[in-house]
Amino acid sequence: MKVVSLRSDVQAEPAALPGVAPAMAMIHIDHVSQRFQTSGRQSHLALSDINLTIEDGAFVSILGPSGCGKSTLLYIVGGFVQPSDGAAKVKGKVITGPGPDRGPVFQEFALFPWKNVLGNVMYGLRQQGVKKTDAEAKSRKLLEMVGLKGYENFYPKELSGGMKQRVAIARTLAYNPAVLLMDEPFGALDAHTRTRLQNDLLTIWERDRKTVLFVTHSVEEAVFLSDKVVVMTRSPGSIKVVVDIDLPRPRKRAELLLDPRYQKYVVDIEKLIDDTGEDEIHA
Amino acid sequence: MITPGAALSKSAPLLACIGLLCAWQVASLALQTESFPTALEAIRAVPSILGDKESLVNIGASIRRMAIGLSLAVLFAIPLGLLMGRIKGVASFFNPLLMIIYPVPKAALMPIIMLWMGVGDMSKTLVIFLGVSLPIIYHSFQGGKAVEEKMLWSGAAMGLSAPQRMLRIVLPAALPEILTGCRTGLVLALITMVTSEMIARQSGAGNILFNALDMAQYDTVFAMIIIIGAMGILFDAAFEKLRGWLVRWSKPQHDMPLSFS
Ligand SMILES: Nc1ncnc2c1ncn2[C@@H]1O[C@H](COP(=O)(O)OP(=O)(O)OP(=O)(O)O)[C@@H](O)[C@H]1O
Ligand SMILES: [Mg+2]
Repeated sequence: MKVVSLRSDVQAEPAALPGVAPAMAMIHIDHVSQRFQTSGRQSHLALSDINLTIEDGAFVSILGPSGCGKSTLLYIVGGFVQPSDGAAKVKGKVITGPGPDRGPVFQEFALFPWKNVLGNVMYGLRQQGVKKTDAEAKSRKLLEMVGLKGYENFYPKELSGGMKQRVAIARTLAYNPAVLLMDEPFGALDAHTRTRLQNDLLTIWERDRKTVLFVTHSVEEAVFLSDKVVVMTRSPGSIKVVVDIDLPRPRKRAELLLDPRYQKYVVDIEKLIDDTGEDEIHA
Repeated sequence: MITPGAALSKSAPLLACIGLLCAWQVASLALQTESFPTALEAIRAVPSILGDKESLVNIGASIRRMAIGLSLAVLFAIPLGLLMGRIKGVASFFNPLLMIIYPVPKAALMPIIMLWMGVGDMSKTLVIFLGVSLPIIYHSFQGGKAVEEKMLWSGAAMGLSAPQRMLRIVLPAALPEILTGCRTGLVLALITMVTSEMIARQSGAGNILFNALDMAQYDTVFAMIIIIGAMGILFDAAFEKLRGWLVRWSKPQHDMPLSFS
């Protein structure tokens, strides 16, 4: 068996990450813990002392066993959930609620069922006061980009899961948030669509350089897309390790899959996750 | 293309009506009681009622009260129900109140209301309003409560304020459930309308019916029952058309057991 050798910074405590100046950080998660009240006067610690700094324009993935608090962490950054301890900051300001600077893409899509595809994508733009014709033109372009040209007048109930997810991504991209918060956005997709959307997301990201916080269960996906991969421990979730993915960009899937460095990252991270006693991750 | 099966299911309500009338005809011929005219006799009396100006004015007044009572109830009950569905405090304040009011037959309040407001339109409209409000509140409450949280979060991230989310996300998302309540409300409005006119005899379709009963004009009594019944079916079918159009985007609902459209 091959001995896994990790780079020194990989083993560093997350709090002691070789840091950029805090002012440069897009997102700063500072000693965040989350306790949920559960039925029967008990409480459940979902997140335990999370510290994480995400630089402006970074693509950061979060990996970890089911139930370790990945979604919860994303909700806290989104401002949908207030942490029971600690604080999350965006551009230095403490997050107290949702805002158009942070665009969520939920595991459950959460499309507006009474709006057709075009109406869903236009919604945020219209809310920001963009003229109807402009909003429509931009939305149509986005829909074409995510491969949904011709489906503008479909209602969400008439779409497959993968198509819904693409609408949800387009809807969030439309209002141009500085930070994208994506919760297993490709989890429900078939392998082919998944690959396509990964490539599309990478193209968009390499063009716009948005800050992305991306939750996934796929190690390959995380390594392929990210600058950094955060591996979490099982519940109560804490950060086990942050791995810097030092692979050249722009990344081409065909080249990357053959790249021994990519393969090593995947194997190393899978090993790390195995150490957390996680088995679901391979499912 | 209309398949035989589809044609059958489309004409099923009509067939049911015809079947019912046939059973009525047979039963009435068998019983031979003066107070139970045959279906044909009752139907023959319908045109004379609908041709009579005073009867039409009476029926019109009934429909007007029903429309006003129902509209007021819709305007009051939907916002209240949705607020109860979304805000815990509102729900815990109104829930006990509604629990008490719920089992009281609203028509039973009619004598008291008449005492205070007289036998005129006000009392009858108020009783309709009371009778109709509860199911609409209940369904709006259920619909509001069931709105997916992530949908509201998506709206919040786009910059919608809490009142905007209420109006532009909770209301449309709960609409299928709200309209189910409105449909129940519509039928209840008709029932309460007739009941109120039975208690406060002054005008209206119910008044014609009970006057005819007093004067032993049984064919008119049964003709009025047919007319009121037909009104109910017509209103319901029209409302179902509207409902189907308004929520055409929603998943095909568990098919409603009673539908004439
Ligand atoms: N609103 C809530 N109330 C109570 N407990 C909650 C709530 N939300 C999450 N939890 C608990 O917090 C823990 C973390 O949940 P979370 O959804 O963040 O996990 P996750 O890592 O996203 O899991 P998955 O990979 O399955 O999506 C779970 O144990 C869950 O039961
Ligand atoms: Mg999750």
